[in-house]
Amino acid sequence: MTSSPVRYFAIAAFSGLLGLAATIPRAADGKPNLSGVWQGGGVSLYGDAADGTQRTYAAPVNPPPKRESIPYQAWAETKSKTFTPTDDPTLRCLLAGVPRITTMPMPLEIIQTPKEIAIAYESFHAFRIIPINDKLQHPKDLVPTWMGDSVARWDGDTLVVDVTGFNDKTWLNGTGSFHTEDLHVVERYQLNSDDTITYTATVTDPKVLTKPWITGALLRRPPNTRVEEYECIENNQDVEHMQVKK
Amino acid sequence: MKIPNRIKLLIACSGLMLSALPVTAHHSFAAEYDSKGLITLAGVISKVEWTNPHIYFYIDVKDASGSVVTWAVEGYPPNTLKRTGFTRDDLKLGDMVSVTGYKAKDSSSRVAGREITFPDGSKKFAGPAGGSAPPTDSK
Repeated sequence: MTSSPVRYFAIAAFSGLLGLAATIPRAADGKPNLSGVWQGGGVSLYGDAADGTQRTYAAPVNPPPKRESIPYQAWAETKSKTFTPTDDPTLRCLLAGVPRITTMPMPLEIIQTPKEIAIAYESFHAFRIIPINDKLQHPKDLVPTWMGDSVARWDGDTLVVDVTGFNDKTWLNGTGSFHTEDLHVVERYQLNSDDTITYTATVTDPKVLTKPWITGALLRRPPNTRVEEYECIENNQDVEHMQVKK
Repeated sequence: MKIPNRIKLLIACSGLMLSALPVTAHHSFAAEYDSKGLITLAGVISKVEWTNPHIYFYIDVKDASGSVVTWAVEGYPPNTLKRTGFTRDDLKLGDMVSVTGYKAKDSSSRVAGREITFPDGSKKFAGPAGGSAPPTDSK
């Protein structure tokens, strides 16, 4: 039984033996406890920002990978340049896909249990329910979707999420960053001693990329923040006022 | 992977991590507003739309000839504003306010609001600085 005090004690003792318990919060099953509200961008705006000063932070103990250009094949690079900001799916309030959703300047909440991880995003009402599945097996009846299908396993203290089953309608990040239905993303969530999560995404799509594209973000806990409603389509005036020449 | 502390410090000091992150959630600032076209408007609040994906409020601005032009001011999404301490109640119909913002590229009477000065002289930010506002994400 997971509720056995003996088991709790054994886990605590084992974690203590490794010197881990003091550094990051852990769930009852001994795994790093990722639960809580996090945000990949724009956190510095929150709090005492009335005077316009932005919050500053100490350098993170475990930086995510530096952002690099997407390694497109030549034809795909050419095609990516034919898009403009008016083509951006998120301009029309459509789901941002993975990994892009993680870098949106809005909070997300991770709810962790031993058997599954749920992530509720403020951006575009997105959610993911991610079963823990050590073999990383996806269902066989997948139909391509905006957010894909996610399964996860623990690799030591890192949560590894395997995402596939995407449609080809989302962008990977900036303008024109298209992909195909062969997109495959492997995400890694690593909880750090400075109360941050180092998020890394390895993106493969052999039809358009020359090699895997590795990207990431640092997730922080935004102060006094909960995930709230964001009904993006409510008053979306920007589409008609975009000035972009094709 | 074990990284020596010295290297960690080097990485931290180089500022790799603190690269500019997007502050607009769903559209490109540069495609809609002129980041070099900062203007200041003074007018009376005539309408407030505390809506997603952006708030809008409208101010009636008198020109030199005395005719009134209604300008639309776009700001951050409601949740973002609330978290910075700017609430719906700060925008009161009939209040005379001063707004600095970036002009729309389509020549309509619209600005991306940057700073609002309220009747009591207090100021709050409504949206990003044009020069520092990246598109939705960095490519």
